[in-house]
Amino acid sequence: MRRSWRRSLQFRTVAITVVASGAAIGLVGVYMSVSVGNDLFQSRLDQVLVDSNRATASAQGILDSSDAADRVQVQTVLESARTTISAASSSRLVAVFRVPGQEASTVAPQDSSTFGTSTAVISEELRREVQGGDGQHWQSVTLSTDDGSFVPGIVVGSQITVPVAGRYELYIGYSLADAESTLLFVQRTLGGAGLALILLIGGVTWIVVRFVVTPIQVAAETSQKLASGDLGVRIPEKGEDVIATLARSFNGMADSLQSQIKELADLSEVQQRFVSDVSHELRTPLTTIRLAGDLLYDQRETFPPATERTAELLHTQVERFELLLSDLLEISRYDAGSVELESEPTNLVHLAGDVIDGMRSLSLSKGSEISLVAPGGHLDAEVDPRRIRRIVNNLIGNAIEHGDGRPIIVSVDSNQTAVALSVRDYGMGMTEAEIAHVFDRFWRADPSRKRTIGGTGLGLAISLEDAAAHRGWLQVWSRPGAGSCFRLTLPRQANGQLTSSPNPLPPDDAQSGQPTPRAHEPRGDHFA
Amino acid sequence: MNARILVVDDDPALAEMIGIVLQGEGFEPHFCADGSLALDAFHSVEPDLVLLDLMLPGLDGIEVCSLIRAESGTPIIMLTARSDTTDVVKGLESGADDYMVKPFNPKELVARIRTRLRPVPAESPASLAIGDLIVDAAGHEVKRGEQKINLTPLEFDLLLALASKPQQVFTREMLLEQVWGYHYKADTRLVNVHVQRLRAKVEDDPDNPRIVMTVRGVGYRAGAAG
Repeated sequence: MRRSWRRSLQFRTVAITVVASGAAIGLVGVYMSVSVGNDLFQSRLDQVLVDSNRATASAQGILDSSDAADRVQVQTVLESARTTISAASSSRLVAVFRVPGQEASTVAPQDSSTFGTSTAVISEELRREVQGGDGQHWQSVTLSTDDGSFVPGIVVGSQITVPVAGRYELYIGYSLADAESTLLFVQRTLGGAGLALILLIGGVTWIVVRFVVTPIQVAAETSQKLASGDLGVRIPEKGEDVIATLARSFNGMADSLQSQIKELADLSEVQQRFVSDVSHELRTPLTTIRLAGDLLYDQRETFPPATERTAELLHTQVERFELLLSDLLEISRYDAGSVELESEPTNLVHLAGDVIDGMRSLSLSKGSEISLVAPGGHLDAEVDPRRIRRIVNNLIGNAIEHGDGRPIIVSVDSNQTAVALSVRDYGMGMTEAEIAHVFDRFWRADPSRKRTIGGTGLGLAISLEDAAAHRGWLQVWSRPGAGSCFRLTLPRQANGQLTSSPNPLPPDDAQSGQPTPRAHEPRGDHFA
Repeated sequence: MNARILVVDDDPALAEMIGIVLQGEGFEPHFCADGSLALDAFHSVEPDLVLLDLMLPGLDGIEVCSLIRAESGTPIIMLTARSDTTDVVKGLESGADDYMVKPFNPKELVARIRTRLRPVPAESPASLAIGDLIVDAAGHEVKRGEQKINLTPLEFDLLLALASKPQQVFTREMLLEQVWGYHYKADTRLVNVHVQRLRAKVEDDPDNPRIVMTVRGVGYRAGAAG
């Protein structure tokens, strides 16, 4: 219910309208009912009073004109008076009581009442009033009928003088059952009409609000579709009212959005093609240069020393150029957003082992021994092996370069959702400032430091992009003098979400007896 | 006699440089710079191997490849600046046996050329059975019953490798080494595409292979004989 209230404009409007008009109709109805009731009562009262007055008068007339003297006669004449009253007043409820306080009389007839069980309704205060004064006094009472139900009534009392016997109180009871049933009828009719009216109002409101809300709803849904990527949706424009204006404005906005996005997409495509074409154009002459350079390099021993050295330099620089071009093309692909993963089930332990084998001679030449520790990761993960291989190559290459000849440990582990590969070296490590920049393009920690292994400066940048393309993480921990640990975490399924990594970062052996700054939460991709 | 190699590339400097490298290795290079003239050159030179650039004026490299492949099993190595999967696969599917991405290591090029040109090892038995086929190693023939099936030398090598060790499951890396002569981690797309091409030729129903069976997550295996 609350949800409907919050979510549906229509529901709210109709509800408020129905409740408000319901209240208004209710008030009016109550007022009308009360008013009619009062009126009915009043007119009946008037009628009753007139009636009883007449009856009393005629009874009194009979009494006055009789010459009853003894008890029986008085009784008889009282009887006839009572009968007259009953006939005249159309009420069968007649009670006669002797006014108390008079001198006793032997001929006075007994008190009588045809009120039956309702006699008690003739209350003390009414009696007092009647006993006290002239004229009629009345009171609203509840009479009980023969079948046990109760109806409202009026008791009118006045004094009559019975010859010889004295003064008597005469009470005539009138039932208001008719008035009551009329009132009930009116109330029922009012109630029914009121309800029908409320329903009608509700229905009409609902229909009318629909006319307004439906276009708004259409606008809202269309906006939602537009926001979620469907640039072609539009709102139908009909008529010239505010809704149509809204539709027109919306469509104008959507057109503008669509054309701008198309422009950007086209531009991006043009740029991507340009970069692609350029790099391909570059590759052909580069191949010729490469072949030529290699040929000269193979024959370098036959040259004089300076030429020999020239051939060597040419060879290495051509190689470097090639790598740079290849890396540039790769990163431009990421920038243009046109990277497609070719994922297949891959065993990361095997992959790591292969890369390590390939780099073993290089690492040994620098004095570092690489070892592979794999408590997990033996089951396949869905990754692009070419890219992961590239990342591992890059990480191990960096470890060899900065490892200071100390051992390098590659650890692979996995859990339910993720697989992780860490490359730990015990070399020079990095300061916090250096860690913050380590993934930047073309960034070098120490520009003056001689790079022994060729690198383009894009290796980690590309590795980071490769990891992100898999929805994985590439993170680093490092401390000056204690080495570095780069951790790659990948989801096992292609669409997996990473929540935690099977490998620890900082690594378990981060403590090395030196005062350690506390490792804090990763900013972006860095631990420190 | 030196092996004749037809070099189809529109860049004169590169073509010349490749020629120098080939000559240095004892091959006899011939050149063609236009795709539309390539098929004629192929006929007149009758090379033992074709080095084919993909971006050619006249006829596109892929077209040339399919034309040559349609009439001959001569090994074709694609040279391409494009390393995107779609381009590579397109080239392989049109009939190339191998591809090299520019720029390439000349030593690698020579190694792959030599692998394509090497003769079938003599130790293989005269005839092998794989599925319902008979492979005649010496005669380079594959028959289903009496019907001969036409395979390129590479496809034949691939089938032979699988048939020689019927119980062995060959990983893609093993096949790359044995059939293509790679000695390091290389692109396994090569194997995938060629297995598909082989299946298209030898299987009754390429979608339900009985001759070249896939072993999921590992590689390929020869189907049981008979």
